[in-house]
Amino acid sequence: MKTFLKNIVLFFVLAILIGEVVVRLTHAVVDIPQRTIDENGIQKYFPNQEGFWKGGNHKWVINEMGWAGELPKSYDKLVMVIGDSFIENFMNPEECHQSIFLKSHMPNNNFLEAARAGVSFLEAMEIDRQIDSLKPDHTLIYLNDKDFYESVYDIEPLGDIMQVNLNTKKINYGILKAPRIKKVLYNWKLLYYFYNRFPLNQNTNKQIKDKKKDIEKYELKIKEKAFQLVDYVIENYEIKNKTLVFHPHSNKEIIEKCKSSGFNVIALDSSKDSTWTFEHDSHWTCYGHKKAAEQVFKELKKYISN
Amino acid sequence: MLFNSIEFFVFLPIVFGLYWLVGGKRIKEQNLLIAIASYVFYGWWDWRFLSLILFSTIVDYSIGIALGKNEKPNKRKVLLWISICVNLGFLGFFKYYNFFVDSLIDSFSFFGSELSINTLNIILPVGISFYTFQTLSYTIDVYNKRLEPTKNFVGFMAFVSFFPQLVAGPIERATNLLPQFSKERSFNYVNAVDGLRQVLWGLFKKIVIADNCAKYANIIFNNHTEYNGSTLLLGAFFFAFQIYGDFSGYSDIAIGISRLFGFNLKRNFAFPYFSRDIAEFWRRWHISLSSWFRDYLYIPLGGSRGGTKMKIRNTFIIFIVSGFWHGANWTFIIWGALNAIYFLPLLLTNKNRLNTDLVAEGKYFASLKEFGQMAFTFFITLIAWVFFRADNVSHAFSYLSRTFNTSLFSGFEIFPNTILSLILFFIMVEWLGRSGEYAIEKIDFLNKSLRWAFYMLLIILMFSFTGEEQQFIYFQF
Repeated sequence: MKTFLKNIVLFFVLAILIGEVVVRLTHAVVDIPQRTIDENGIQKYFPNQEGFWKGGNHKWVINEMGWAGELPKSYDKLVMVIGDSFIENFMNPEECHQSIFLKSHMPNNNFLEAARAGVSFLEAMEIDRQIDSLKPDHTLIYLNDKDFYESVYDIEPLGDIMQVNLNTKKINYGILKAPRIKKVLYNWKLLYYFYNRFPLNQNTNKQIKDKKKDIEKYELKIKEKAFQLVDYVIENYEIKNKTLVFHPHSNKEIIEKCKSSGFNVIALDSSKDSTWTFEHDSHWTCYGHKKAAEQVFKELKKYISN
Repeated sequence: MLFNSIEFFVFLPIVFGLYWLVGGKRIKEQNLLIAIASYVFYGWWDWRFLSLILFSTIVDYSIGIALGKNEKPNKRKVLLWISICVNLGFLGFFKYYNFFVDSLIDSFSFFGSELSINTLNIILPVGISFYTFQTLSYTIDVYNKRLEPTKNFVGFMAFVSFFPQLVAGPIERATNLLPQFSKERSFNYVNAVDGLRQVLWGLFKKIVIADNCAKYANIIFNNHTEYNGSTLLLGAFFFAFQIYGDFSGYSDIAIGISRLFGFNLKRNFAFPYFSRDIAEFWRRWHISLSSWFRDYLYIPLGGSRGGTKMKIRNTFIIFIVSGFWHGANWTFIIWGALNAIYFLPLLLTNKNRLNTDLVAEGKYFASLKEFGQMAFTFFITLIAWVFFRADNVSHAFSYLSRTFNTSLFSGFEIFPNTILSLILFFIMVEWLGRSGEYAIEKIDFLNKSLRWAFYMLLIILMFSFTGEEQQFIYFQF
């Protein structure tokens, strides 16, 4: 029995080591950059990191400002591009970023992306406020419905996302959830591979059904809160030279509310086109990014001088 | 609890640890632990059906004791029939009630009259066909005095519910498995290592071969009107490897786990796709079921001893009942009948035992003749698998008619290189290892580091090509 157990343990240790090597060599999981929180409570990445996307076909880079992508050569005629994982865009190579496509349409302008997975509408406004020191000519904020709902503490408290409590008008800054465990998880690639492959908290059909019911039940509340959020943002942030870029299929009432509140608005439309998203991922492909940039350019040129 | 689930990955080491911690000399405690673990394993799906197994256990245990005390033939016969009625009654109700009601309604409407009987919303208890046949084998063997009735209730309970083979076999004979619960079991290193190796091979068959084939078989079968003949033939090919990988994979895991606990189960598959005729195929496919029907149905019916008419009748009975055992659907009955049609010419010309040895024994390659025989046998089983897989009879006929037309000679519309390469690798390993109980049994000719490298390769393939987790097909039977 002792020999058997000894061999089993030895085999497992070897399997773990070989598995780690295989996962790293084949880039079976995406490299995740390490995050930090800056003095303004904004979650950013540690500067100057780089890593591979799943499959290892392309690299992502974190620039010296702590955002994904390369920095522009100059900050003249600067257009900021703020958003969440769509703009962070680790899943596509560098040449498929919004800033690159927009630059190809507007060569006289410079574009800087400031994006991170999980950025809410409120956090996007905070990022914009902090980045004002660069004195951009214009700011594009890419949004979908979720970015509005996740900004409101009253809808659902989310510890790791920056939210506003609309009752107290107080901002709750997001915290890094279990950073040490995450650090281990992201560096132990085999473990992270298993974590992705066999998720521990998979929703059952019943839970999904319950959640759907909940969504229907709270739909009215959510809409009302999203409207209140827009009012809060109007009162507390500068909205001049800011354009909200809504993802295709976004809530029309929220778009109208933003328009009537004074925001420039671009509503992207993918209905007359082949799909913009990956097969098993809701993010845009390079083609989706290209099409989105074309539509943004058409509207953007109305707001800024080229 | 599925063998290929995380829950089982936790469950097995716990039970294994406790089992050997108790010690090989304390049989009672070990049997109790197996019984409890088996009930937990089964209850993980639906605890309500535990009462069914328990009831079946109590009935057959009591009847066994009563048979041991009674010498009067009539009374013994009554006891045997009580066991048969209870066991087959449960099976019939849960598995076949709705089928018979639907068939009755259809027959009446065919003759222009209407019958109003409601079908029931019945959930089929997992593995009922397997444990029912296992307990029946006990009662029949005690009745035939081939086996002494057991007085060890816990041991009998563990025998009926033995978790490695409870839900999808192999269907164990009481004469083989039950006595093992009364013997002292000591840990055997060679046996345990061999068991783990068989588990690994079984998992590979299930996760890499069956689940990946399932993906394409499902796409092609579910949309068969959209594909040409060659693609439909490829769909049947995928299903042939899905069902083989799935079912023989389960059997390998079950046999391997049993060996970890010191039990030896009967072999259930012996490389059936390397058969040179259909008779050989049936000696190599689902051996535990085929031999069950042979011993408890075919031989009591007279077997092949009588005249031609009797041979034909018995052959059709055994194949159709075998088909019907798989499920309450006409497709399974036709599948069984088709195999009977394949088998009869061999039986009637006394050629059904021509190929009892191993194909190309001791050689790397089969002769051209043997290769042709294997290809033909595989091809006719492929046609039969279409009925097995189809949703209904018209689906099967439509599938076959769309397969065998001029489009059979056009190019494949689906041709997944990766999975076909994996199947090729699988066939090669099975061919090279066909003299063993399972394909990688005789891997000992490699030194330890190469063996371990091969195991690692299998594990890497499993994690790299994990298909969508599919439940084992035979759970539904």
